[in-house]
Amino acid sequence: MSGSATTGDAHAFRDPQTPDATLDREADYLHAEHTLRSWFFTTDHKRIALLYLASITAFFVLGAVTAGLVRLALVVPDGQVFSNDTYNKLFTIHGVVMVWFFLIPSIPATFGNFLIPLMIGARDLAFPKLNLASWYVFMTGAFFTLVSVVLGGVDTGWTFYTPLSTAFSNTWVVPALIGVTIVGFSSILTGLNFVVTIHTMRAPGMTWFRLPIFVWTHYATSLIFLLATPVITLALVLLILERAFHIGVFDPAYGGDPVLFQHLFWFYSHPAVYIMVLPGMGVISEIVPAFARKKLFGYKFVAYAAIGLASVTFFVWGHHMFVNGQSDLASLAFSVLSFAVAVPSAVKVYNWTATIHKGSLRLDTPMLYAMGYIGLFVLGGLTGLYLATLAINQHVHATYFVVAHFHYIMVGGTVLAFLGGLHFWWPKVTGRMYVESWGRISAFLIFIGFNVTFFPQFILGYLGMPRRYHVYPPEFQFLNILSSAGSTILAVGYIFPMIYLVYSIWFGKRAPANPWDARGLEWTVPSPPPAHNFLSEPKAPEIPYDYPIQASESQRHHS
Amino acid sequence: MSAAGASEVGVRLAGHFATVEQQRRAAVLGMWAWLLTELLLFAGLFLTVLVLRLLHPEAVQEAARHLKFWIGAVNTVVLIFSSLTMSGAIQLSRLGWQRGMVRCMLATAALGTLFLVLKGTEYHADYEEHLMPFLTERPYALDHLPASRLFINLYYAATGLHALHLFTGIAILLVLTRQASRPGFLAVHQNRIEIYGLYWHFIDLIWIMAFPVLYVLNR
Repeated sequence: MSGSATTGDAHAFRDPQTPDATLDREADYLHAEHTLRSWFFTTDHKRIALLYLASITAFFVLGAVTAGLVRLALVVPDGQVFSNDTYNKLFTIHGVVMVWFFLIPSIPATFGNFLIPLMIGARDLAFPKLNLASWYVFMTGAFFTLVSVVLGGVDTGWTFYTPLSTAFSNTWVVPALIGVTIVGFSSILTGLNFVVTIHTMRAPGMTWFRLPIFVWTHYATSLIFLLATPVITLALVLLILERAFHIGVFDPAYGGDPVLFQHLFWFYSHPAVYIMVLPGMGVISEIVPAFARKKLFGYKFVAYAAIGLASVTFFVWGHHMFVNGQSDLASLAFSVLSFAVAVPSAVKVYNWTATIHKGSLRLDTPMLYAMGYIGLFVLGGLTGLYLATLAINQHVHATYFVVAHFHYIMVGGTVLAFLGGLHFWWPKVTGRMYVESWGRISAFLIFIGFNVTFFPQFILGYLGMPRRYHVYPPEFQFLNILSSAGSTILAVGYIFPMIYLVYSIWFGKRAPANPWDARGLEWTVPSPPPAHNFLSEPKAPEIPYDYPIQASESQRHHS
Repeated sequence: MSAAGASEVGVRLAGHFATVEQQRRAAVLGMWAWLLTELLLFAGLFLTVLVLRLLHPEAVQEAARHLKFWIGAVNTVVLIFSSLTMSGAIQLSRLGWQRGMVRCMLATAALGTLFLVLKGTEYHADYEEHLMPFLTERPYALDHLPASRLFINLYYAATGLHALHLFTGIAILLVLTRQASRPGFLAVHQNRIEIYGLYWHFIDLIWIMAFPVLYVLNR
């Protein structure tokens, strides 16, 4: 351990000789133009990333507030806080908003947009106008979804299972379906842009195996965007046709098969888990070497593991239907394939751990998030293996065990990676430093709050508490209160960064080009970057993650 | 063809690309990526057709016999011809024969419109034969086979989605033709014709898959 051993001395490694940002202020992308027009009609990938950041933060707040209300309702066992209908709508809005309007676009649409051109040495994404269009498509989808919320909400759960969604629900299902269908196109356009950009826009010398892992994971994510999203688009269109125009193909009254919808739904929605997880893995792969001062262990394995995950994930969707009348043989196959997901996941975790091993650690805010991520992802991943086991699945299917499992992946994984990335690249994006001590306090609060919220849910689920119910046996009340109490700590942990990060935009210290002494082309340009990214021709590094400590030397460097 | 002197052919470099070659590659790859997405969209439909066929073979067969095979077959030929004219447009654009190219594009749009007209005729005939189970007020001809509704509904969803693609395609093609008829177009945007051609061929190809899956396999 070296560097910032004490919390109060957070600036020790960062500052002394580094001059203040010397950039001519007119040149950077934030100050190149000031009109509203220059923001809402920009084709600059960096500004579009900020448009997305603002939008998804708003949705995160909406999703978090509904989650808070759900936790409030679960404090008492008799379901007296809200009516049944209100409770159903609350968890549906929470799920729909968090999945489609926060988690899926979270890291790709913000950091992916901002960083991929910088990391590969390009002036912009391949299709800048399409990039802007994707944001407008996103906002159009958001509009329809908000309309459904304002009109009275939806109560189908985020999964929209038929026949509940098509025949029985009396809520505003169609606008919500339209919103989610439209937002899928924004994902497709983003993925298309990334694939083409990574293939064609790399700077001279930037070969595939010199790319940062962040770019690899976004490439894998983009393939899922392109190949899986259209399938759910179709499934949702068929739902809309069935509910709005009676052009139905799933209706069991005529011999239709609602489970067919579930197949189509999960053919997208399981890979979508990796849309949410892979970009986070990319963020962690950037943060860990930078704060361990050590070359990323097993670069090629980490890169291939991203592609491996993106491939295997297309063949595991059936594990969502183990108890829905799927044949035993199919369930067996899906179970085995689901176990296979653990292999590339573990490759990544082992490689991050090996990178940390005998590195020269600095426990700054991004690294705290990264280490939190690794721990929580392991827990979430291992409980995934429980769920992939057919016999155990029978017991815990559709219980809080599942809820806890996917929140460990989605919140413990993706949200922590998002926040880690936000702190890591904040100086680059805004040109300002946040107050380090506040960052660390928030990271701790989120880690503790998260575990207090969700760990009890594993136990609740194992004891048999089903998901989506707000009336439960009184003996579950203690664990539910514990979980709700944890969510208040988590809420404080979310509110702090919103305050001190916004504060830093005006009052933070000026950030140098490379405050963390990190590798990667994005750190070679000033903070914030110039409007056209590179002032001189970018030069691809010969070795990615060329940090002072090499894996083989870690013994010697360890002091 | 008419043009005595072929016009200059090329692509103007957009600011964020380093070379024209890079820009061309990006545009082609972008369209292929889009088509891949579209393919998966329609793949879900075709899969659903086959699942219905497995679940309810008699009902699906009976329903498929009521589809207008010959209109579908003629439409297949129409679209294949439109792909031929589109290929002609691409080839002529490479040669810089702008007038011939524009004529080929107009012919393509006309054939596409012919397809939609024939499709409309087919829908009308379906309506006359009481093959629209989703019209709740109107009796349904195959009411004795409840599951046939599912296949018929899917037929409308699939052909409607394809028609929507074709309609959008014709609209874009007409706008593009207007742009492409201006002097000097080929010198700066020749690759737009090639990119658009990929999309047109794809719509054609989707119909070539939809026709056997809906009309032929189940007869």
